Amino acid sequence: MKALHLATAALAVALAPVLALAAGPDDAQIAAIVVTANQVDIDAGDFAQAHASADDVKAFARQMVTDHTAVNKSAADLAGRLHLTPEDNPTAQSLKKGGDDNVAHLKTLSGAAFDRAYVDHEVAYHEAVLKALDSTLIPSASNADLKALMVKVRPAFVAHLDHAKMLQARLGR
Amino acid sequence: MALAPAAAGAARRPAHPSTSSAPPARELAVAIDGMRFVPATLAVRPGDRVTWVNKDLVPHTVTARDGRFDSKAIAAGASFTWTASGRGHVDYACLYHPTMVATLTLP
Repeated sequence: MKALHLATAALAVALAPVLALAAGPDDAQIAAIVVTANQVDIDAGDFAQAHASADDVKAFARQMVTDHTAVNKSAADLAGRLHLTPEDNPTAQSLKKGGDDNVAHLKTLSGAAFDRAYVDHEVAYHEAVLKALDSTLIPSASNADLKALMVKVRPAFVAHLDHAKMLQARLGR
Repeated sequence: MALAPAAAGAARRPAHPSTSSAPPARELAVAIDGMRFVPATLAVRPGDRVTWVNKDLVPHTVTARDGRFDSKAIAAGASFTWTASGRGHVDYACLYHPTMVATLTLP
């Protein structure tokens, strides 16, 4: 449970800057946050599919790579069409750092402990990203296509969260 | 109207063959949209062509639990068609996303 609380707290810190902004991020910052959020999960998934113990955890990790890569491709295509250059910002940087810290922590684990830590982080991570989408990223988007992309992608993140929770229940506490 | 001579033991042929033929095969669609199959339940008849269209940004599969169809990966924007056969309830799911489940009902 401690690892889960730490993961959740870390994510709350990582996403606090975007949630605290009175004016909300602009489209270029939103694009950077979305791309980084996907890349963080791709990186964790890449690592987990190679190092996880249980087959269904490896399959989930592979799916995170597949799905978040597909979403990032759509985001990149849209950014290109809109001539929108993602603008790095403290929130994106914080997400990246959180992701690096997670992988560094996973490197110290193996077996069932690895699987639980990876899945616990995926639950907390998808919860935090959904909260950021709903409270800030979607409402703040100016461009209608950018907003529509995030709305279109949201169900995939919900499905990921549900899938991670299924694994979490199976792995037990 | 002359009827063809019946073979010994054969049933009488109807005067209007069209009244005894099965309803024509239909083209039916299921959308894969927002990580769901829409509609989640669809009544089909043998011979109907069911086409799933992936409107999501991520790939999916449609895979029958009893094995009678498996699309393998359906890329974003792509589709898969199955000509319905067999009978009864066919539960199916996306192999990549275990919360995505639906049913075809055959007579």
